Order: sequence, then C-alpha cells, then structure tokens
Amino acid sequence: MAKLTEKHNYDGTLICVEGIDGSGKSTQLALLRDWLKSCGKDVIYTEWNSSPLICQTTKLAKKKNMLSPRTFSLLHAVDFADRLQQVIAPALKAGFIVLADRYAYTAFARDVARGVEPKWVRQVYDFAIRPDLTLYFDIDPKTSMERICFNRTPKFYEAGMDLKLSNDPFESYILFQSRVIKEYKKMLSEYDIVKLDANDSIHKKQVKIRELLQQILAEKGVAI
Amino acid sequence: MKKEYKTKHGYEGLLVVIEGTDGSGKSTQLQLLKKSLQDKSYGVMVSEWKTSRLIADVIDDAKERNLLNATTYSLLYAADFADRLENQIIPALKSGFIVLLDRYYYTALARDVVRGQDIEWVKNLYDYAPEPDLVFYLDMPVDVLLKRIIGTTGLDFYESGRDVGFSTDFYNSFEIYQNKCLEQYEKMKKEYGFISIDGTKSIPEIHKVMNNAVLEILNSGVLN
Repeated sequence: MAKLTEKHNYDGTLICVEGIDGSGKSTQLALLRDWLKSCGKDVIYTEWNSSPLICQTTKLAKKKNMLSPRTFSLLHAVDFADRLQQVIAPALKAGFIVLADRYAYTAFARDVARGVEPKWVRQVYDFAIRPDLTLYFDIDPKTSMERICFNRTPKFYEAGMDLKLSNDPFESYILFQSRVIKEYKKMLSEYDIVKLDANDSIHKKQVKIRELLQQILAEKGVAI
Repeated sequence: MKKEYKTKHGYEGLLVVIEGTDGSGKSTQLQLLKKSLQDKSYGVMVSEWKTSRLIADVIDDAKERNLLNATTYSLLYAADFADRLENQIIPALKSGFIVLLDRYYYTALARDVVRGQDIEWVKNLYDYAPEPDLVFYLDMPVDVLLKRIIGTTGLDFYESGRDVGFSTDFYNSFEIYQNKCLEQYEKMKKEYGFISIDGTKSIPEIHKVMNNAVLEILNSGVLN
C-alpha cells in the first residue's frame, strides 16, 4: 500500500494545491488544467469532499452542526479514501496528471486546528499517495475573509464556530483560520511543500507553477 | 459504603460490552442484562454497533450498492463509532449510567484485519475509546453459528465476507470469513481480558454469568 512518506511508483503525476479558502488555489488549478489539456495531456481534476459515497452526508451534517472534531475528521477521511481508490490511484496508474484541489494536508491542518492529535490524523491518512508536487498558497486570514465573505457571513465550520473561540463568526473565522495557517506552516518542511505568495498576480503564480511542473515532468522524461 | 472498584475509564458510570460474531446471542443477553439492572434501579443505556443517526444509513446504502473498499469500510464504521461515542456513550457515562454495548471496537479490529487492514492502523482509529469495565465474549463454534444464521436472517453478503473474495459460494465464504474473525477474537481474548463464555450454553446460564460479574462490581458501591 502507498504511503504519504514514500515516493510513488506510478506513471502518472500527482499535483496538489493547499491553503485556506480564498487563497486563489482553485483559480490556479483551473488555469493549469486548461493549459495541460491544450498541450494534449491526460488530466483529471479532483476536489476535497466530493465523493458520491459520503459528501452529501458530510454537507448535511455540517449544515446541522452535528459533527464533533473526530467525526468531522473521519468523514473527510472516508471521502478522501474513496476518491483515492476510485479516482486518483487508477488515474495515476494510467499515467494521468492528477490535479487535486486540497489533499490530506487539509485534514492535517484543519483537524489539528480543531484539537485532534497530529499523530492520530496522520496515521489515519497513512494510505495516501505522496504527491509529486504540493503547492501552498500563503495568505493572511483577513485577506482570505475579505475575499470569500464579502457578501456573506462565514459558515459555521469554516469559521470554526464549533470551537467556541468567539460568538462573532467574523472574529471566529480569523482566529480559527490563523490556527489552520499555523498548522500548514509546520508542514512545509515536513512534507516538502512549495510555498507561493497568494498576493502575487494570477499570471506570476501561474508562470511559477508551470515551471515547477515542467521540471517534475522532465524528471519523468515527459516533455511539455 | 467504601468504593473498592474504580472504573477503568475514569467516568462516573460503568461500561459493559458484549462481543461475539453474528448470531452468537449478543442482543438477547443485552436485553436480559438491561432488564435485570433496571429492576435493581440502575440507569441503563444501550447502544448497538452501527446505529449513529448520522452514518448508519450511509453504511447500509453503500453496502447495498457495493460501493465500499476495505479502507472506506473501516473509516465509515470508525466515523459511526466516533459519533455514537461522543454523542451518546460518553455523555451517558459522565451522568453515571450503566452503558451496555452490543459490540465495541473489537468488532472493527476483527473485521478490518480480516479485510486486510494493518492492525496498528485500525487500532489507531479507535485509540481514543474509553476502556470498558467488562467485556463479555460469546464464544461460538462456526458450525453452530452457520445453523443459527441460516435459520434466522439468512446469509448476508458482508456477514459472509463475500466482499473479501474468499469464495463465490455463500456457505464456503461464510465459513472462511467467520473462522478468520474468530481467530482475531481468539487473539484479543487475552490482550483485552475478555470474559469468554461458551455461547452454546443455555440463555439463562449465560445470563447468570454476566449478571453476577456486573453485580460483583456494582456491589462494591461504585455507582452509589
């Protein structure tokens, strides 16, 4: 079985983007996908909490504020395991470039920010495949909030309201996401994650990402 | 009265588990024990495996449609357990109830390991669970189990371990699967100090053994 700590042996390439909401990672991944497709590469895209097996249940439970940190963690692990085995692993075996919007690191950051033990959650995701490249979009919580909550209140779990850090969702969002960012930063060296400045222009980031990907593909003998 | 017994988990209440394979008579004994303890004015809470309002239906549906692999199987049951533990079991223990459980995480250990999961990985999933004060194990030979199951519910796909691919014949598959589960239980008996009871004994005989063991603890005044 694959391990997060060991290089995988599949023909394909796994690229992940990480960071808190509003950091621009999905925009970058969409641009990357279109470019790879236009180059004639086999690409698939998969996003966090989207497995047909469980994502509706998780969304419903979130809406009803029913989840303890541990249950929250395990439900997302179910989603991840399902996508890993049904989508990600087969695509990698078939030589695809797999673009993942959030990966196990999201769980490590969020669940630990919720008080789950770092070792426990890492062990839960032990079956994950190690990405060839992980990009972290560094943004401060205030800018993130301005981007995603300009016309709405932060949602219950998004703001970490379950932790009762503050009764004000906006203040809670800042406090909780600061914790999440702290966990992300601890992981940069632990997992060889490349940090990008989310405040850079869309163009600048995309140029950098394409460069990084070209290097990785070149190492695998794939020209692009 | 002096409290001689201290609960193993540190909560006010008492945690009693009945383990055993399908058809070993667990639910019958649970009901008898519940009645007997309630008759003595104790508060009793019963909880069965895979009954969380959040996840149980998802598991049933996914099983019906054959959507599960070994990892999602393990994680879904772990999520069900976490939800029940945090929403029912621990609150009841804190309030001083006697909590009677039909299966505990030993069931997951047996079933998941038979499905090829690494035992340490499974143990980690449940490592936060409180240690029960008593674990009764109903020991039943496979031939008796087979007759009981065939005579009542009939052979079920997962109970027969058909998903593991031991055999496409229901009878053979059940025999192989349940034997492998029994092997796991056998190993756990000592490791977790199960009180093993011969499941072929009569219902009142088994009840007496369980009832006496629980009363022995209660007579120490632990819940007074």
